[in-house]
Parts: sequence; C-alpha cells; structure tokens
Amino acid sequence: MADKTTDEIKYRILRYLDITGFTVFDPIVRLCFGEEPKKQVESIAKFLIVPIIFVAICVGVWWKVAPEHKTKSGEVPTPDVVFESAVINDTFSKREKMKESDFLLVGSEREETLAEVEKAIVENDVLVVEYKAKLAKHEADYEAKLEEQLSPLQANLAKLKAKNKELAAELKAASAVEAEKFENGNGSKEGLLAALRAETEFKDASRIDEGIIKDKIDAIRSEKYKPMEEARLDLSAANNEAQFLSKRVDFLTRANRSMKVEVAKEKLEASLAKLDDATTAKAALSESKKVIRQEDSITRLEEQKYASAMTVYMQIKRSLFTVFIGFLVAAAIAIPVGVLCGLSKIAMACLTPIISIFKPVSPVVWLLIFQIVVGAFFPDPESHPFFLLMNKLPFIGSLGVNPALIFSACTVAMCAVWPALVNTALGVSSIDQDHINVARVLRLGFWDRLTKIIIPSALPLVFAGLRISLGVGWMVLIAAEALSSSDGLGKFVWDEYQNGSSFSFANILYACFVVGIIGFLLDRMMIILQRFVSFDGGETSL
Amino acid sequence: MNILKRSIVTITAAASAALTQAELLDLEKDELKFGFIKLTDCAPIVIAKEKGYFEDEGLQVEVIAQPNWKQLLDNVINGELDGAHMLSGQPIAATIGFGTKAHIVTPYTLDLNGNGITVSNDIWKQMQENDPELDTDTPPHPITADSLKPIVDEAKDEGKLLPMGMVFPVSTHNYEIRYWLAAAGIHPGMYTSTDIKGFTGGDIELSTTPPPQMPATLESGKNVAYCVGEPWNQQAVAKGIGVPVTTNYDIWKNNPEKVFGVTKKWADENPNTLIAVTKALIRAGKWLDETDDDGDLVNREEACTILSKKNYVGADYDVLKNSMTGFFYFQKSDKREMPDFNVFFKYHSTYPWYSDGVWFLTQMRRWGQITEPKTEEWYHETAKEVYLPEVYLAAAKHLLEEGYIAEEDVPWDTDGYKEPTSDFIDGITYDGKDPVGYLNSHEIGNKDTF
Repeated sequence: MADKTTDEIKYRILRYLDITGFTVFDPIVRLCFGEEPKKQVESIAKFLIVPIIFVAICVGVWWKVAPEHKTKSGEVPTPDVVFESAVINDTFSKREKMKESDFLLVGSEREETLAEVEKAIVENDVLVVEYKAKLAKHEADYEAKLEEQLSPLQANLAKLKAKNKELAAELKAASAVEAEKFENGNGSKEGLLAALRAETEFKDASRIDEGIIKDKIDAIRSEKYKPMEEARLDLSAANNEAQFLSKRVDFLTRANRSMKVEVAKEKLEASLAKLDDATTAKAALSESKKVIRQEDSITRLEEQKYASAMTVYMQIKRSLFTVFIGFLVAAAIAIPVGVLCGLSKIAMACLTPIISIFKPVSPVVWLLIFQIVVGAFFPDPESHPFFLLMNKLPFIGSLGVNPALIFSACTVAMCAVWPALVNTALGVSSIDQDHINVARVLRLGFWDRLTKIIIPSALPLVFAGLRISLGVGWMVLIAAEALSSSDGLGKFVWDEYQNGSSFSFANILYACFVVGIIGFLLDRMMIILQRFVSFDGGETSL
Repeated sequence: MNILKRSIVTITAAASAALTQAELLDLEKDELKFGFIKLTDCAPIVIAKEKGYFEDEGLQVEVIAQPNWKQLLDNVINGELDGAHMLSGQPIAATIGFGTKAHIVTPYTLDLNGNGITVSNDIWKQMQENDPELDTDTPPHPITADSLKPIVDEAKDEGKLLPMGMVFPVSTHNYEIRYWLAAAGIHPGMYTSTDIKGFTGGDIELSTTPPPQMPATLESGKNVAYCVGEPWNQQAVAKGIGVPVTTNYDIWKNNPEKVFGVTKKWADENPNTLIAVTKALIRAGKWLDETDDDGDLVNREEACTILSKKNYVGADYDVLKNSMTGFFYFQKSDKREMPDFNVFFKYHSTYPWYSDGVWFLTQMRRWGQITEPKTEEWYHETAKEVYLPEVYLAAAKHLLEEGYIAEEDVPWDTDGYKEPTSDFIDGITYDGKDPVGYLNSHEIGNKDTF
C-alpha cells in the first residue's frame, strides 16, 4: 500500500517535470525514490553535472577574458559587476517605493519616519565628509604619482623636440644652401632633391619618435588609479544617499499628500471666512469662485498619486503586458486565417504571396509604419476616449497605456502572426485522411467537423506555432521599445546605451539576462499549455 | 498680428487678474508631463522638479527622457507631452514650417553656452602640425578652424568630403559649427529647396547624429568632428577618443542655447499654468546659478548628483561635474576655468529675447533653410510670434512679490533686443534690429538685397 502511494507521488512528480519540460531533473527524483541508483547517478553526472560544469567554465572564461578587452567605453564588465548593477537597479526601485510610501504616510507615522530620516541624514553627512577627505587624499596621491611618472617622459619629450627642431633647422639650412647654388649657377638637381628628401624624411621620423613618447604619456594618463576610483564611487554613493534622504524629507513634509491637503484646507477656510465677510456682490462672487476652485483642488489632491520614475520592475511589467497584447492579437488573426488556409487550397493560394512577402520584413520597418498609421487614429491622445478608458482600468491604468505602447504591440502582433499562421495551416491541412473519412462516414456537418475533428487534431501544431510566435514577439518587442521609446525593457537598454555612464555596459548585460530569463519562462509557459492541449501527449518539449 | 496682440492682452490680463486674487495661480491643469533630451542643459526642468519648485506652484510634473529631438517635438505637438526642453531653433523652425510645422512658443530660455566642438585625435594631430602653437598641453584659445582648413582642402583634393556631425538641422550646434567653419573660409554646405541635407557646395559633409551617439561615431570614424552639448564633449576626453578644440562660448560669447517650448494651442488653453511653470523654472535657474561671496557656484555639485541619476542625464557624476562646476577639460592635461560654460540665470539669460530669435532666423536664411529672401519686418514679427516675454514678466512679477528674486534679476523695461555685440569668433557685429544687414556682412552664405 505504502509502495503504491510513493510510486504515485513519484510518477506525479515525473509527470510535472515532463509537462514543464524539466526532464533533466528526472534522475534526481528517481534517485530519491531509490530507483536503479547506479543508472540515475550516471545520468545525473552526464546530463546535469557536466552541463553545470560547462556553464561554470563559460562564466569563468567571461570573468577572465572580460577585463582583457578594453573598449573606449571602459572594460567589459565581469559577472560581479553585472550583479552589482542588478543590485543598483534594485536599490533604485526600492528608493522609488520608499518615496511613494513617504508621500502617502499620514499622522504620527509620518512624524516618526521623519525623525528617523533626519537621524539618517546626520549619519550620512558624517560619511560624506569622511569620503571627501579620503578622495582628496587619493587625488593628491594620484597627482603625485602621475607627476612622478610623467615628468621624466615630459622632460624626454621636450629634449627630443628641441633636438629635432635643431636638426630640422640644420637640414633646412642645408637645403637652402643647395637651392642657393642654383643662383650661383652651380646647382645640382640631385643635390637639392636629396636634401629636401632628407628633410621630409627626418620630419616624418621625428614625428614618429615624438609620437611614441606622446602615446606613452597618454597611456599613463588614461590608466586608472583604483583607490581613487573606489573613493569616488563611495563618495558618489553617499551623495546619492544624501540626495535621496533630503527628497524623503520633502515627501514627509511639504510634498506629503496629507500635508498638501491640510494646507489646501486651511486656505479654503480662509476663503470661506472671507466670503462671510464679503460686503459687495463682486467680492462675494469672486470669493465663492475661489472656494469652489479650492474644493476641486482638494478632491484632486486627495487622490493624487506619486509620480514615480520608471524602475526596471515597472518596465518588465509593461513589456510583458505589451507582448501579451500583441501576442493575443496575433493569435486572434493567425488561428482563423490559418484554419481557412488549411481547409481551402484557394485561400492558401490567395494568401501565399502576402505571407511570403511580409513574413521576412524587419520589425523596425513595421514599427515605423505603425507609428505613422496608428498615430493618425490618436491625434490628441491625452483626451482620446480609448486611452482615458484604458487608464481608468485597475491594473492596466498603472502601466500608462499610450500610443507608443499601442504601436509596439502592433509591431509584435505583425511579426508574431506568421509562425502561428503557417503552423495552423500546416496542422489543418495535414490531418490524417482516416479522420476525415470517419467524419464523412458519420456525416458530420461543417461545424462539427471543424470543432470535433479539425481543430483538435491540428491543436498540437497550432500551439507549436503559437510558442514560436511568442518567442518572436518577445524578441521583436525589445527592439520595438528601444526604437519607439515606449517604456519597457527595450527602452531600459536604449536609455542605458545613451547614458554612457561607467555602469551602462553592466546594465545592458544585466538587461540581457533579464530579457533572456523572461523569454525562457514565457517559452516554458507555452510548453505547458501545449502539453495540456495535446491529447496524445506527444513529444513536444525540448 | 492682431490676433497675436489680442492673445498677448488676454494672457497679461489673466496674469494681472491672478495677481490680485491669490498667491497660488488659478491652474487650468496641474498634472503635467515634460520631455527632455539627456544633456546637462535640461537641468532647470529637472531641478524645478527635484527641488520641489513645481510643487510649490501646485504642479505635479513628470519628466520623461526622449530619444531624439524629432520625436520630442512630435510628442509635444501630438499632446503626449505638455512641454519640453527644446533647441532654440526648434520653436522657430516649427513655426515657420521648416521641418515639422506647428506653432510652438517659448516663454523661457533655459541656458546660455554649453556646447563644444570636438575633433578626433587624428585630426587634432594634423591640426597641431599645421599650427605648431597648438602642439602643447595648453594651447592658446580661441582655436579657429584655420588649422583645419588645409586638412579639409587636402581631403577635398583626394575627392573626399570630411564627415562631421551636429545634432539636428535647426539646432544651435548646426549653426555654431557652420559659423566656426565659415569663419575660417571652410564652406559647410547650403540647404536648398531640393537639398534638405544641406550638402550643396560644401567643403565638408555635415550630417545629423543624436548627441549620445556622437562619441561612438567619432571612434568609428563616421565623423571626424562634431558639435554637441555636454556631457558628450567631456565624455570624448574621458574616453580619450577626441579633443574638444573650442566651445560655443568662443564662437559667440553667451549665446542662447535651449528653450522651454510648448504649443501655441497649449499656451492659449493654459495661460496660468504656463505662468506657474515659468515661475518654477526661473527659481530653478536662479538656484543653479547661485554663488557664494567668492563667486563660486554653490549648488552645481548637488545639481550634478541629481542629473547623474539614470532617469535624468545618467552620465557619471564626474563627467557631468567637469563642465557643470565651472571647469572644462580640453584634454586630460588641459583643465581650464570656464565659469560661464553653462549659464542658467546670470546676464538676464532666461528672458526670452526677440533678438535671439532673430539671430536664429538669420542663420536659417544664411544657410538656405529659409529659401526665400525675407524683409526685416518679417524677422521681427516671426520672433514675436515665438517668444513670449509677457508670460516671463508675469511670472517674474509674482516671484518678485513673493521675494524669490530681486528687482535687478529681470530686465523689466526692455524692448526685447539685446545690445549689439561683436563677441563672435570672427568679430562681426550682430544687431538684432538689423537682421538683413547682419546677413549681408558674412562672406559665405546667402545674402539678400531688396
């Protein structure tokens, strides 16, 4: 009995692994349940440990090779720098969250937090002073070191320059002498030409000689002095913290929502009092207008939201939303059209030219086309009813739906539609002849044939197509967002590229991993869906 | 003109009405979105947000980075943005219909100066050979394009036009690098009704590159020189890929650089909001230019810390600091004091001067972006359609009453034209009241006679 339950558990786990496509972990499960330990250990070693070692080696190579490749924008970041950039991005979004909560705090909680923040400011100020002193020391050290290294070189250069100048003058004089000979009638062509050649040759040679020393000087100047760089980073981190804390104080005091409402209410009361005292009709009218306006502004203030800067997590959310919109649109077009193509040879013939011409078109081109076409529908997006509606919806509203999102989604849809369409058509047209014969024998109507025979048997291929579509869509989206500056991971990458700060490169690599991991998860999600709809449970996973 | 006058009257009337009522303006709209390009001179907008000046006016403002000037302008026109950090030439060009047509107005000049011309290391070496005086760690300034001319000529003899970069056809950078080149007799090329790239008859090829990509194009050889705002010149020094040879301070001392632009429609619909925004910007400008008793800029380091945040300019603090705190690195070895490299408030710089608009119009005509000869009146009228000093003055009046600015901070009684000046690299005098005469005083470029 007990055996049976453990077996059941085992097979259930195995089945989950199978569905999610993580069959690599099979042997571990089997090993835990004591099934043929030797065989399992062997396959763990082969298919789990070896790949892990391989990936570790890849990371190791990256770690080793990256610092060797010096670009003008700095070194290629090592894994730890990329990790650090992930931490920095996380801090950034935590700070935004914190500011938001400060903005919304009320009453005694607000006062307590304010006290805490003020204490933190004092502590941070001490740090800033300390780091400043440290940086000043390192800077002085660096200057001294630089001076020490450069002064002999500069002296050499000056000496060389002086010497070369002297020699050049001599050679010039020599050619002048040769030239003068012509005046006296005893000039020789060869002599003058040789003298002039010697002069230019010497000039070139001395330029190269001087260039070598100059390059050395440049190289020394561009060498980085680690302690100073670190001190700089420390100081700028402390400065950032100071900036953040002072902003928090702002959000806990005058920029705090409850405080703003309070101030507005006081003003309202003052206006009300004035209205009571009003003696002329004109004054009463103007005061009461003011009262109404102030009341309006209080209601607006009470619902005011914190205007947060885009954090990487918000960008991920928005990207996912955009890709799903695009993907759903693509699926809604691709499946019916694909079924039609699969059923009718004429439809297929009609659509083939369109599919084959538009399928290879680059997403960038589509984006530009949609930007123009879709833009025409929303001449005034601020007050367009569609966007007003969208931005009122609970979850979607927070994402800030705007035309840029719409045409990014359209681009995704346009590029994602083809794989799903082609696969659906293929799935429908390659239905087993036996099934069709059965339908004929049973005299099924068109609708029944469609829902009972055609779609179910085409479904695995349809989903295989959708899976490719989602992958394509995700890939396209990043490019579309970068180009259209629609907030999302694509814009994150583009902004980082534009920032050109010392962390930009690391941030781009970080985004690369984020995009990759999300793409992987999306793919797995599609695999699971695919397994659920495949009645035959066929081999569909990786 | 009549419509214009009337709208001015309504704006000032609204302003004075607001004045008598209360200190907080009667805002038509209080949640705003402003766009900017990642350049240090977006500072007044960012500072007004971060220091809470917008909030003091009852405004909740979002500040959003834009990928390039064209998209920024499109977003302002289509209403996605309420207003934006713009090139001085942008509102003018949009209003007269060069490029995208839309009536854009500006009540506030964000800053003066702040651009540089950077050449590649290779060109710099050749310039040093042509002019041995440049071959030191600290060559004498201003550096003209005279030592560049032989290089340009040589390349031209070989059938090659040297490629150079500027950020936008109607940007200050375009006019500045053209001015610098033309002052040394290098023809930068003309725009014509059929050549909208501006290559016609040029000794070089000057094309558009977005600012953040400038250093990369220099490194790859796609450009051998470029004119751009900060931090992209200092970035070239920091990365060792180029040498800034001159700044626009030398080309035209205290030239207007960026403005804050909104559409005319928006300005008409939200007159009080526009005044409130201008108030916040004036305070931000004043904060940025605040000095201590020794004349040192006291708030710039904090400004750099704020601007180095990734949602603003995002470049390294140290790179931003180079130009923002009154210094400029021409080479790693050549750090010079340039207290006026960025001017955000001094010299009445934030006032929307008509004469600035006229200068840009003369340059557009000089290089053929305006294809037809225009009369003097046309220059003045066009400038008056774009610049809104009345909004600026209304905002300044509020601030004066609230005690945020001093009486002498604002040119209250000006007619909108600066005094004639000859602080140009070629010494030619510019008088805003005589645009056609100024146009005709240049060797290279269009000249008009009537």
